Amino acid sequence: MEIKGEAKLLRIFVGETDLIGHIPVYERIVQEARKIHLAGATVFKGVMGFGGTSRIHTAKILRLSEDMPMVIEIVDEIEKVEKFLPTLHDIFEEAKSGGLITIEKADIIKYVVGNKNN
Amino acid sequence: MQNYIMVFIGAGFGGALRYWGSDIVYKFLPTTFPYGTLFVNILGSFIIGLVIYYLDSNKLINHDLRLFLTTGFCGGLTTFSTFSFETINFLKEREYFLAGSNMILNVFLTLLAIFISYKLSNLLVGKLNF
Repeated sequence: MEIKGEAKLLRIFVGETDLIGHIPVYERIVQEARKIHLAGATVFKGVMGFGGTSRIHTAKILRLSEDMPMVIEIVDEIEKVEKFLPTLHDIFEEAKSGGLITIEKADIIKYVVGNKNN
Repeated sequence: MQNYIMVFIGAGFGGALRYWGSDIVYKFLPTTFPYGTLFVNILGSFIIGLVIYYLDSNKLINHDLRLFLTTGFCGGLTTFSTFSFETINFLKEREYFLAGSNMILNVFLTLLAIFISYKLSNLLVGKLNF
């Protein structure tokens, strides 16, 4: 698999406790991205943040650490990323939770598929 | 067995109040310091003082209710583990001033809360006797 040149970086912000059934939304997004063979997806857990409700979430205070921000980043060719957007909209609809999706231009410098687990 | 049931129910109510109380505080105070934990610890200390020095000392409650309110309710409402956890979080981030403030404020203000409830109990007893 090869990605060269201009691509898109898809960034999705959700909450740690956003669920679809028993599955976290961030996990569902990664699963769906894998299904359509996107180049890769990485999930980051934030240590502090706030969303649409302006409610602060912070890892330092136990009571406020219940719904930490999660960021999923996906980089791939423009067509493949755009093809994934309807799925993302469906996930957000299904979860009925808040969130944010951004998309921006990304220049791929290097994309290498390792073989250490083969 | 009845003692355990009293503690169990009391701790449930106390824990639920802690969950609510430690959250509502952040509607008024900044989230940079664990005011929520401090608030429930002070409240719990004040309540246990009133229960012991006023209600129990004057035989206004029986053994079951004392157990329900002290070990149960106040035990569930206050939290030493969360205080420790949040202090360690500050230390991990090298926020020594906040860690020290958290330790001093929790120890000093909870003791002060019990002292105030002790004095208040004496005042109430004085009024009742009068």
